[in-house]
Amino acid sequence: MSSNPGIRKIVIAGVLGSIAILLGVTQLGFIPVPTAAGTVTIVHIPVIVGAVLEGWGVGTAIGLIFGVTSLLESTIPLFKDPLVAIVPRLFIGLIAYLIYAALKRKNEYIAIGAAGFIGSITNTVLVLTAAVLRNYLSLEVAVSVGLTNGIPEAIVSVIITTAVVAGWKKLTPSRKQKAKLLSEEVEG
Amino acid sequence: MAEAFDSARHITIGQYMPGRSLIHQWDSRYKLAAFTLYIGAVAFCQSYAGNIAGLAISLFIVFLARIPIGYALKGLKPALPFLLILALLQLLFNGKVYANGQVYWQYGFIWLTEGGIRLVIVSTMRFVEMMLLVSVLTLTTTTTQLARAMHSLLRPLEKLKVPVHAFCMMITIALRFVPTFALEMDKIRKAQAARGASFGTIPWWRIIKRTQSVFPLIIPLFQLALQRAEQLIAAMESRGYRSHGRTSFRSFEARTADVLLLFVAVGAAYLLIWL
Repeated sequence: MSSNPGIRKIVIAGVLGSIAILLGVTQLGFIPVPTAAGTVTIVHIPVIVGAVLEGWGVGTAIGLIFGVTSLLESTIPLFKDPLVAIVPRLFIGLIAYLIYAALKRKNEYIAIGAAGFIGSITNTVLVLTAAVLRNYLSLEVAVSVGLTNGIPEAIVSVIITTAVVAGWKKLTPSRKQKAKLLSEEVEG
Repeated sequence: MAEAFDSARHITIGQYMPGRSLIHQWDSRYKLAAFTLYIGAVAFCQSYAGNIAGLAISLFIVFLARIPIGYALKGLKPALPFLLILALLQLLFNGKVYANGQVYWQYGFIWLTEGGIRLVIVSTMRFVEMMLLVSVLTLTTTTTQLARAMHSLLRPLEKLKVPVHAFCMMITIALRFVPTFALEMDKIRKAQAARGASFGTIPWWRIIKRTQSVFPLIIPLFQLALQRAEQLIAAMESRGYRSHGRTSFRSFEARTADVLLLFVAVGAAYLLIWL
């Protein structure tokens, strides 16, 4: 973010951060499953949506809100460590945005889906790595959690991210497109 | 059945309740610093004694703020069934992961251990404490006060070129919209149920079905949120909002009582960690 980020970035980050808080507080963002982790999460999806819509700065800011919410609200002790709860979440937005930016020119839909998938995998991998490094989980437990939780989370993330971002982008054409439409009207 | 549809309305985070209590009149900079410290202590407290003390102190703060206790606890109601299911799952399947201490009972992959039981009791108590504290903080402080307090506490970071004001504005917006989106979510839920969606009727063990039932709720919620964002952007741009060089009508004036209360909070935080 520059020293004077635009109103758009502030507002989008705030609004999506609000969804992250809501999903965390109402527990709607956690779907209970009988594995060691206890739940499959969808709270990281606002982070990915923010990163795809407004860039990595917004994604990182929402990631921070997500991290703090999970630090405060989580019922699992391993998330009571800021190194596990907050630090990995700062990278979700950055990586999701890089994937999106790299693939955007080829196909927008694939870029959005890939950002959703890789962003979710980033969350799983970094959180579990931090948990293993801080000795909360053994390596084999971490790998089994990664497989049983990470993959369903990534699939859910792809579906929601694609639906939200593709739907939204259609609703409001970008400024360039708007200008193009206007100039076509004038010419026509 | 109807209960399932106005669950989100019970969320007290982000709402403000006017009053003249001690907590209401506490200088918001000191209040924010004290609550942050104390909430941090609650988050790290792992012992039974510490959490009992924490629960007592949290209830006392609610009493000091003159908030009806039923109102502060309302936020717990929607999360309750979920908490119970999670507690049960953690109790049965997590014992092996946190297998420190005595093993009471073991059958196949189900381990009932001391560590597992402690985890369930402590984390449930902690959830209640957090809910109360965050509710009291937002119920007794307007979002404007909160944003200004955060701004003044984080001001030193401005020297490092951190966009402090933008960050505070973002947090303010995030907190402000939590109750709004909670209401919107109830509306979406009712609208989808009227179209035949089956929320709350799917048993919890049908995981894939339950996951699928989240989609018709979350996707419209995102769309509504982004529409709100567009309206807010237009409103702020048309009023000439700038994120730097802003001044304020009111200035902070700390009294002795404000500082004393901060010391009390530091003491309470230390007590929890020590217990």
